[in-house]
Formats: sequence, C-alpha cells, structure tokens
Amino acid sequence: MNKELLTEILATFKKTQGYIEKDNRLFIETKKEIVPALLKYFKDKSFDRLAMVSCVDRINENKLEIIYILTSFCLDNPLNIILKIKISRNEPELDTVIPIFENAEPYEREIHELFGVDFIGHPRLTPLFLEREYEIPPFRKDFDMRKYSEELFDSVPFVGDEK
Amino acid sequence: MDRNKISKWLKGPAKMGHKYSLSAIYFCTGCGIIEVPPVITARWDAERFGVIPVASPRQANLFLITGYVSLKTLKAIIRTYEQMPDPKYVVGFGSCPINGGMYWDSYNTIKHLDKYIPVDGWIAGCMPRPEAIFIGVTHLWTLIDKDMAKGYVKYREKYESYRKNQEQILGKLEWKPLYPIRRRK
Amino acid sequence: MRELELYFGPQHLGMVGNFSITLSVEGDKIVNAASNPGYLHRGFEKLMEYRTWSQNFPLVCRINVIEPDSMEMVYAMAVEKLANIEVPERAEFIRSIYLELARIGSHLFGLWAYANMLGFDTVAQWAMYHRDIILDLFEELTGARVYHIYINPGGVRRDFPKGFKEKIVKTLHSIGGCVPDYNNTFFENRLFYERAHRIGAISQEEAIKYGAVGQPLRATGIAHDIRKVEPYAVYDKVEFDVPIRENGDAHSRILIVRDEMIESVHMIFKLLDMMPEGEVWNRTPNPFKWNIPEGECYVRVESSRGELGLYLVSDGGDKPYRAHFRTPSYTHGLVILEKVLRGANISDVGNIMISLYVIAPEIDR
Repeated sequence: MNKELLTEILATFKKTQGYIEKDNRLFIETKKEIVPALLKYFKDKSFDRLAMVSCVDRINENKLEIIYILTSFCLDNPLNIILKIKISRNEPELDTVIPIFENAEPYEREIHELFGVDFIGHPRLTPLFLEREYEIPPFRKDFDMRKYSEELFDSVPFVGDEK
Repeated sequence: MDRNKISKWLKGPAKMGHKYSLSAIYFCTGCGIIEVPPVITARWDAERFGVIPVASPRQANLFLITGYVSLKTLKAIIRTYEQMPDPKYVVGFGSCPINGGMYWDSYNTIKHLDKYIPVDGWIAGCMPRPEAIFIGVTHLWTLIDKDMAKGYVKYREKYESYRKNQEQILGKLEWKPLYPIRRRK
Repeated sequence: MRELELYFGPQHLGMVGNFSITLSVEGDKIVNAASNPGYLHRGFEKLMEYRTWSQNFPLVCRINVIEPDSMEMVYAMAVEKLANIEVPERAEFIRSIYLELARIGSHLFGLWAYANMLGFDTVAQWAMYHRDIILDLFEELTGARVYHIYINPGGVRRDFPKGFKEKIVKTLHSIGGCVPDYNNTFFENRLFYERAHRIGAISQEEAIKYGAVGQPLRATGIAHDIRKVEPYAVYDKVEFDVPIRENGDAHSRILIVRDEMIESVHMIFKLLDMMPEGEVWNRTPNPFKWNIPEGECYVRVESSRGELGLYLVSDGGDKPYRAHFRTPSYTHGLVILEKVLRGANISDVGNIMISLYVIAPEIDR
C-alpha cells in the first residue's frame, strides 16, 4: 500500500523524489512551490495530522532544510511521511501552511525566531522564546554559542568586585 | 518550641518570628520545583520547619530559586523579589543558579544568580533531595540567628550595582528603581 | 463593556509551572488568549549539538522534569536506530516496566496538581505520597529520585537488584489498594463532576484539526496510542486496553488518567511474569570515539501526555548534527489552550490548563 502511494505521488508531482525506509518512514524531497499542494494531497489521503515542522541548517550547501512530518489518526496506518525541502540560506522565505494545518502556527513562529526563516502570510511572527535580540539567529550553525555566552555573561561583574 | 530557648526569644523576638515562619513564595522558576510538592505534602512535611508556600510575593519572606534561570525568568524574579517585604531571604536551589550547572554554555540561562540579586544560601545538587531543603532551612536559621542573612540589606546598599548588572543583561528595565539611585559626578 | 488585558503568570495563584498567558477579558469572560512561553528556554537542541552522543543522555532527560524517562527512551531509540544497535530482550522488558512506572508517577503528579487546584487537598496529598513511593523504587533501581539516566543505548544501565520484583509488586499493591478510596473521594464524587464537567471541552473534529495527542485526543473518542499504533520496546507482546471517553472535557480527561494508571499497573504485573533471563546491555563503542553513520530518523514514543517524537540528524560525526523534539505539550499549550480559553471564565483557566496537562519546560525546551 505504501509503495503504491509513493508511485502515485511521484507520478502526480514533478520534481519530487522519494523512498521508503524500514519501520514505515516515507521520505520525500521536493521543491518549495509544491509543498502546499502536496500537503493538501496528503490531507485528503487521511494523513491529517501535522506532527511537527522542523528546520536543519545545512551550512555546507548554504541551504536551510525545512521538514514537515505527517502522520495519520487512523489506527491501522503507522506510516510517517517526512517531507523535506531546501530553501536559500541568505534569503529564507517560504509560504505558511497554516491554512492547511492550523497547528503549524507555533512551529513556524519558532523556526522564524531560531533560524530566521520568513513565513509569508503568517499572522504573528512575534518573538516566542527569546528575550534578547540576536544578530545571527541562535540555532544557525555559524552562531557560536560558547563564545556568545562567555562574552555576554562573564562581562557582568560580581557585586562588590567591580571598580 | 524549646523552653530552654526562652531567653533567646526575649532577646530578639522579631528574629525568632522570622526564623520559624518562613513563607516561601510559590514561583516555579525551574525544574527544581518538582521536589517542592513532595516537600510541602504529607511525606516530608515542610511545615515542621515552619515553611509554608504562599501565593503572593507580598506575603512571602523566603524565595526559593528552584533551578536554572533563563533571561525571561530573571526579569520575573527581579520583579517578584522587589515586591517582597523586608526581611527577605533568597536560597538558590540546585546547581544551575550557582554557576550555570548543566547549562554552563547555554545562550539563554544566566550563570551566576548572585550577580543580579543577593543570595543568602545555596543548596547544591541536581536534583537536591528533599532532606537537602531541610538542611538548607536549618542553615538559614543559623544565619538569621547570627545576623548573616543580610542579603536584603546588601541589595539596598548596593542597589546601583545590582540595577546596573540587571540592565546590562536585560536592557532597559520598564519599572522604576526600588531605591533612589544617586548620580555620580 | 471595556476590554482589558490581563497578564496571567508566571507568578500567579492559578498558574502551575513557569508559563504565562495574556488574556483579553471582558468582565469575567475571556475574549482572547495568547500563550507566552519561553520562561524555561535553555536551547536544548543547540546544547546537544555541542555534546557527544553519550554526553547527551544526562542532558535530554532534563527537558521534562515530570517524566524524564520517556525522554531518555526516545533519544536512546533514535541513537539505536541510527547506529544499528540491537537491544537484548530482557532490557526491552526492563525498559517497558520502567516506562510504565514513570507513567504512573507522572500521572500521580498531574493528579496532585489537578486535585489541589480543584480544592481536593486530601486526594492531592495521597497522590503525592504515592508518587513518592514510586520514586523510592526508582531510587533503588537507579540511585536517583528524579533524573535517573537509566536507559543507555543498547540496553539499560544495570539489571534489577535482588528482590526488586517483589518490591514493585508490593508497592503497586499498596497503591492499587487505595483506588476505591480515590474513587469515593474524588473520581466518583459529585463535586468533582460538577467542577469539571463541560469545562474546556473540545470536539473530535477540533481535536483532529488542532493535532491533539494523548488524553485530550482520547477523551474525544479516538483510541490513538503509539504503543498500539507503532509498538516499541515490548508493547506488542503484552495485552492492554487504551481507555477512551466521549465528552472531551476536563472530567473525561482526568478519568482517562485514572484508567491509564490502572491499565499500567496491570501491564507491569503481566510484564514481570513474562520477563526472560539474560543480558541487559549490549556494549557500545568507546563514547569518546563513537561516530554514528550519516542519516536521519524520526522516532516516537507514547509519553504520559501523548506522542513524543524526536527528529535526529547525524552527519557522521561524534555529535548530533540536529535534534528536534516534538513534545506533546507543544500543541496543547500553544494551540489548543488558546482556542479552548476563548469564551471561558477567568476562574477556569487553571482547571483547563492542568486538565490539558500543559507542562512548560517541555514547550520551551
């Protein structure tokens, strides 16, 4: 059944590669223009649950990888669909998927904050977790966490020690 | 109460009052809060030591900083601490407020709590056991007896330095200073 | 009436955990709610990129303090999958028993918070005591009360000590003996029904639309449980039921918590009878020179609050390239809570929040 699904996807959507791994994981790589159509397609196929949206910083390729993981509420289908797209690292922009899956909202907000990806059409891209502002978004690979925290926190003197 | 201590009572009644009725503010600052419910319920029963949790900072005189302090929480901690009436005691619970602990290289947790507010005592460990809280409380009694738990006095005296440290890490604070800040020439 | 903004938390009477909600209120009625997390953000997933594969075990369990064990399990499963490590059968049994004990402990903690909030202080005290004697079991098994760091890649850290099986049975019997008392004073009490019925109700369509997991989903009548859908450890070898309810309100959610605890106790008894003899740990390579082949995986387990997933990426080095936890409270706290609070009363905020089992450190990570 899963193999049929994969052949159907590859036939319907152009510029899409996919393979099935053991333990019911279906990996699909595609282009960012196709994502909304593909998510809608899966939703109609009863994969109606967005488990999470994630982001990986592929600094060697100068790309950001956005990952959508879809599962199903149906009890007899344990398939997990892992949908991956790559977007430019310098000007990361992407359409929001909130019209299709409403629970994507905090995930996209988090990725905007921690990776600096702009989601076009997102209703509130306000800070979620962080208090300070960062020049480089902190979850990117070129953000040196140890150096940053050393510089920031060690520069504060102990009370009574300062001159 | 021990009858032999009655002379001590008469010498400093207020001190004894502070000592044996520590009202800990119920503020879950970090993961150390997981050991507070067992401590205040039937099995360990902190009321034996006079420690009860209260909901409002205005009623509290003990502030248990339970665990790591992120920048956003630090703001809430400072506000809560400034709302508490004197005398007030702060005890850092767990390794993280002492020196960062597990999160020594994290970009969002502060490493030394005593740079921002005065701390009277520490309870080390990750996670400290409930007994450690009681040992901490009895140590705090000794400190109060010997007039060594004077963090709130230090805060008043060195308020400028504390406020400067707070603003260095959090940016401009939106509330007014608790104590007047003298301008240096 | 004028609309006002009310800051609820992080230091507030009705708030459990370091979490805050901004409410727009009109009189007593909530017009709009916006969750405001981040008070416990430590950047875990970034910290993990700076530590080796085995150094991360003490780290991941600290993401969720209520139930650290499922966090260990999901990370161990991901590492085992990436590095192709087999786990001995006895270790899988021990892991299941350990996770079920943790589930009971976590549910009892939730019950403490909920009963305390509703004003059932006696029940709250019992629940906290019973959680404590489960922590005693953990202490004997692993040496620590809260953070156990017991699950290793390739098995568990050590075998059951002598006489530990009997101790588990004795402890669970003493807790199970109190179930009628719990029922009389709390679960079948008219007051509990009055205080929780129709509070924070979500329909089945809403639960599916917003991606609910765990009790909020099962309270609407969908028997979705990762232990059944995608069995890990030895959950495919043991029989158990997934309790469901129909109403979708706080009352149903808390009753499901009770039913799950009872189900877990029965499951532990069955697992203890079936447990084989043998090794508990397949040795892993030297942790300082342990490189895991390139790849990525998504694994999921059923924690006490619902589906817990981990997306783990390795670039062939000795440290994870990227890890992302999909925690159950995330959608509950940031999506469902906001939707459910709309139209509720201010006095119901704590009730709704605790019955949804929103745990702040898990959201912030």
